[in-house]
Amino acid sequence: MVESTITFPYQRSLGPVLGAFLTALTEERLIGIRSGDRVLCPPLEWDPETGAELAHDFVDVGPAGTVESWCWVAEPSEQHPLDHPFAFATVRLDGADTGLIHVVDAGSADAMSVGLRVAPRWRAERRGHLTDLEAFVPGEAPVPGGGGGADEPVTMMGYNASISYTTPVPDNVVRSEAAAAEGRFLGLRCPICGRTYTGGRGYCPVDSIALTAEHEVDLPQKGVLTSFTIVTPVQYPGQTETDPFARVHVLLEGTDVVLSYQALVDTPNEAIRTGLRLAPVWASAAELGDGAGDTREAGLIGWIPTGEPDATDPDLVNRLC
Amino acid sequence: MAPDHAPGEHPDDIAIIGWAQTPMVRHTDQTETQLLLEVVTGALDDAGLTRADVGFTCAGSCDYVAGQAFSFVQNTDAIGAWPPKRDSHVEMDGAWALYEAYVRLLLGDEVDVALAMGSGRSSTADPALIYPMEMDPFYLAPLGADALSLAALQAQAVLAAGDVTERQLAEIAVRCRRDAQANPYAQVSGEFDADALLAEDAVRAPLRRHDLPPITDGAAAVVIARAERAKAVCDSPVWITGIAHCAELHYPGMRDLTRSSSARTAAEAAGVPDGPVDVAELQAAFTHEEPLLIEALELHPSVPVNPSGGPLAANPVMATGLVRIAEAAAAIRDRGASRTVGHATSGPCLQQNLVCVLEASR
Repeated sequence: MVESTITFPYQRSLGPVLGAFLTALTEERLIGIRSGDRVLCPPLEWDPETGAELAHDFVDVGPAGTVESWCWVAEPSEQHPLDHPFAFATVRLDGADTGLIHVVDAGSADAMSVGLRVAPRWRAERRGHLTDLEAFVPGEAPVPGGGGGADEPVTMMGYNASISYTTPVPDNVVRSEAAAAEGRFLGLRCPICGRTYTGGRGYCPVDSIALTAEHEVDLPQKGVLTSFTIVTPVQYPGQTETDPFARVHVLLEGTDVVLSYQALVDTPNEAIRTGLRLAPVWASAAELGDGAGDTREAGLIGWIPTGEPDATDPDLVNRLC
Repeated sequence: MAPDHAPGEHPDDIAIIGWAQTPMVRHTDQTETQLLLEVVTGALDDAGLTRADVGFTCAGSCDYVAGQAFSFVQNTDAIGAWPPKRDSHVEMDGAWALYEAYVRLLLGDEVDVALAMGSGRSSTADPALIYPMEMDPFYLAPLGADALSLAALQAQAVLAAGDVTERQLAEIAVRCRRDAQANPYAQVSGEFDADALLAEDAVRAPLRRHDLPPITDGAAAVVIARAERAKAVCDSPVWITGIAHCAELHYPGMRDLTRSSSARTAAEAAGVPDGPVDVAELQAAFTHEEPLLIEALELHPSVPVNPSGGPLAANPVMATGLVRIAEAAAAIRDRGASRTVGHATSGPCLQQNLVCVLEASR
């Protein structure tokens, strides 16, 4: 198994309706929007019955409201707004005809009931976010957070979730990495079509059969550069390159699928061309101890030109897959 | 929309002719591709066909669940996409992949066999953290509004309305787990006592453990064919005589949570009320969803619901709905029913519903 954490940092534009609602939150106000003879809170941009765009006819609602439904969260998740047990609730604010889903900081499930009257407790630091309303609390009186509203209308909202995944590493990937650590490629030949794959592929994608240890073949350590790109790096988290660098496709002799986005070693960008004959450069045992296992071809540092005459076979050069 | 002919008589009639599902487990070491390879081979074996016979494929899976962008691309290894195949993907349960495959076959060109798949490994990460990202990004995701919490809000509304009691919900769980003992694929099964279940603490009041589905890894595949091909290769095709889906407003606070209007609309469009129903397989992943859906689909109280054990016995997210349709088909081909219903749902609090009516040949 391999563990990884993916973060999802989004900046979303709010538009005139959601922006108005979140701006009002910074002012410790709750607003709804008129839709026919109803008032929707939270405000939507359209009539939920007809889909017609709503005029921006906002009305103050609340601040108190009535719990229409609730559930008790005994063990909050890291994404929940409170770090101690709380209720999620649908709250119909006074003057609104729909329910706002939010949290109630009620202390205990015993304090919750359908029909319970609640009022907002405002956060001291408000930024135009749903959780500027920290939580509803039982009672009629809002709990002020102090301070004033936003100087400018709120137009953007940040969101950042982080999720840790644990995914299985297929057997062929494990064996492919082990082979790479020994300075060789693991070849897998489909017994039906005869195509040979490398890189830990689990299946022949043409015949959809599993490739296992019995399908292993030795592969020569020679390849041809079939396509390339020069990447001019922009700086983002994790990017360590600073100068333009090459990524090349290599068709390993004896196989039927190119190895994508390979690195070149000791080769100036100006010298890169399709048809270039290449040999793999493997990590030494000492280098392997440092960072091996990060990629599928853990021991493969990159490729270096052999100096042999270029390949000219049109079936080889410019191959992408 | 009751057909005006016996199922299978019109060339545009489409039948389910094979299906397969993986064992449903809390955690598998197999990748999604491996799970799909198994069920694609299994469903085609069941239909007496090979991958070469399939003209269109459609998969349902979720990148957020897989933890990988474009995760469905590598899943095409399972379908044998060479020579190139017409392929599609829905970021939805495989039941919607089946819907797309059904619509594709209605074109009536040279494609007369299609394959629908659904796959998910929910063990990959914490579902409570993944689900909120699929919700309204302004009003729900910032609260970490997870599936369990939103379902519990609906359960409370149903209980408060007096439509059902907590004991009735526990009895649904007891029945599903008992029925699941006959389902070799089920993850949760056995004899349980409603009193004992009700004595347990709530997980998310009012929901207790037995009200919730298990977390499941699994996949399913279904093969469908146009009438001529179906009759040529299959002794007992199961005819899709109605299929429809319908969505309602996303935000649960603006809906009457004690009803499922989109399920009702979809059921009427699929023709559920046009005849007797022998078996219904419903994607009721939480106990309270079962009575809600029975009411929306206007099922007679005598109709057996989820004899497979249903999602309370195994809930392979992204395949749970497709499994319902496969089980509804199995009730006809393997257990002698004449007319069954398969149901799938998506979104918070039964926001979107798909209903499929299946009939035996006459």
